[in-house]
Amino acid sequence: MRFLLRRLLLFALALLGLSLVIFAALRVLPGDVATIMAGLNSPPERVAALRAQLGLDRSLPRQYADWMSGLARGDFGRSMLTGQPIGAQVISRAVITFPLIGLGLGLALLIGVPLGCVSLMAGSPRLRSLSHVLSIVGGSIPALWGGLLLILLLSRGVGLLGILPAQGFPDLGWSDPARAWASLVLPALTLGILVGASLMRYTRSALGELADSGRIDLARACGMTRNEALVRVGLRLVLPQLVSVVGLTFAEMITGAMVVENLFALPGLGSGLVTDLGGRDLIAVQSELFMLAAFFLAMGLLVDLLHRALDPRLKAAPGSGEAGA
Amino acid sequence: MSMDMRMNMHAGKSVAGQEPPGGESPTSSRLRRAWQRARFVVRAVWAQGEGRFAMTVLCLWILVSLVCLAWTPWPLWATDGYRVWQTPSRAHPLGTDGTGADVLSWLLAGSATNLAICLLTVVLAGALGSLLLAATVSRTPALAGSSTVVVDALISIPTVLIALILAVPMGSSALVIVLACGIGYGLNLARVARPAALLAAGSDYALSALSSGASGWRILTRHILPNALPAIAVQLSLSAGSSVLAEAGLTYLGVGVPSGLPSWGHSLTTSVRLVNVYPLTVLWPGLVVTIVVVSLNLFGDALREAIDPASNPALRQEAV
Repeated sequence: MRFLLRRLLLFALALLGLSLVIFAALRVLPGDVATIMAGLNSPPERVAALRAQLGLDRSLPRQYADWMSGLARGDFGRSMLTGQPIGAQVISRAVITFPLIGLGLGLALLIGVPLGCVSLMAGSPRLRSLSHVLSIVGGSIPALWGGLLLILLLSRGVGLLGILPAQGFPDLGWSDPARAWASLVLPALTLGILVGASLMRYTRSALGELADSGRIDLARACGMTRNEALVRVGLRLVLPQLVSVVGLTFAEMITGAMVVENLFALPGLGSGLVTDLGGRDLIAVQSELFMLAAFFLAMGLLVDLLHRALDPRLKAAPGSGEAGA
Repeated sequence: MSMDMRMNMHAGKSVAGQEPPGGESPTSSRLRRAWQRARFVVRAVWAQGEGRFAMTVLCLWILVSLVCLAWTPWPLWATDGYRVWQTPSRAHPLGTDGTGADVLSWLLAGSATNLAICLLTVVLAGALGSLLLAATVSRTPALAGSSTVVVDALISIPTVLIALILAVPMGSSALVIVLACGIGYGLNLARVARPAALLAAGSDYALSALSSGASGWRILTRHILPNALPAIAVQLSLSAGSSVLAEAGLTYLGVGVPSGLPSWGHSLTTSVRLVNVYPLTVLWPGLVVTIVVVSLNLFGDALREAIDPASNPALRQEAV
């Protein structure tokens, strides 16, 4: 309980700190936000009008307070590029990005954990080293290149096996689920392979460390074979660690997701943020950056709590927050 | 290992604890021993097949970078409006891009930019990580607690988000990549090396050094950091690989290396557009990046074995 409270307090503090950093990042711009948003050669009265419209003529603490109270009420302002409310815009992007990341993570787990076990347990040394090499190479491929190779292999049009749509998201969106999912397969596969390779390495090294410990020996003394012991006892023992790793990997996946969204022309959160940044829609960028940061901090919190719930040993060790991860 | 070298080592060791040998200052004797230790580590990395591959590739990378500062097959700005998006030919082995410039030259020249970004990132991450580690093991509870808390809270913020926040005021520049990766990987480093550092800080030898009047700085540099060094070195080597990947991703997104400066991310981005002209040209930039990142990862793995006295007897002998 005390741990939970401390962790929640930490979450709130980190959120506050990040909001200040993001706010400051937009205010230390050479020139000011209104000048940049209005464009270089716009007349001064237009800049002044924009400044008044966005509330940029107020004092900095007042601006920050306005922004925060808007966030708290769910009012994020309007996008300068599309005229839509930013909140609605973010939701319409999130319904693409989250299924993409979810599908990618699912594929990564399906690829990473079993192959990680294989690379440790397979009988033939050749198979073991082959899967080890696979995991290292898979984790070293740039997301952009991996996506391109998959396009060249599998997409309709340029691909060798033209079975999947190469780019774009159907205009009908999720009202046509089959086509929507089909357009997510290639991008998710790209993410899944890259992330799966790193999960494979983690599974292998975590299980490998455990294999030399007495716990596996004990399970074998109870009559299990080594592989049986590793899968039934070992995987349960490394589960908390794996959850931590998956949580952190999820955070790093957003990099890949941004690249992949751009490459496959999916209008998701990542490509949207890049578009807004390029279009100098700084008010939208400010809110979107904050929402992403809040999301990742929440993920970190969730992972820490899960890790603790799954690993009773941490509770037994008094005082030591989440050391030993 | 030759006999006289071992003698040297013992000689060096026997005086290290007491007084410097005649005519040699303590600093130079310490430098000499650090140099010798580095040689043992490099030799042990080279002795492993994977390490040898990694070191060969990395040396080649450095060599190509240096050569490209002075010479590339075509000048980078040799553009030609009549020869844009050309398929590979004898004159242009990888074809030309949208301005008619030679793709191969840009790819080769990019290695220097990436090397610089990679080295700067490693230096920054190492400095920040060590600083945070030092704060974590400090004997001021407030400092130790707050540094632990800061690292734990910020560790879940992805590097790309840091880069985007930085890109708002700074625009697209190589510095954004270096700062974002340096901060992100520095936090990671502090987290990964924390157990080793805490273990060393709570050890009997640190305590005995403290009780015999050693300063906090001396305990940090002589007892704690050397014990965390294996974890730090391996993590930095992995970070170097990640920084190459991060450069590719961020440059593609338009917040990394600005257009006009050659880099592998720039070459990859060009190759995306070349797909429709000649699909096989896509292979080369990605292949270069993948091989270099694989090498940095393998180097890290080999280093893990080589730098740990438990698995490298050469280092152990010296420590006896």
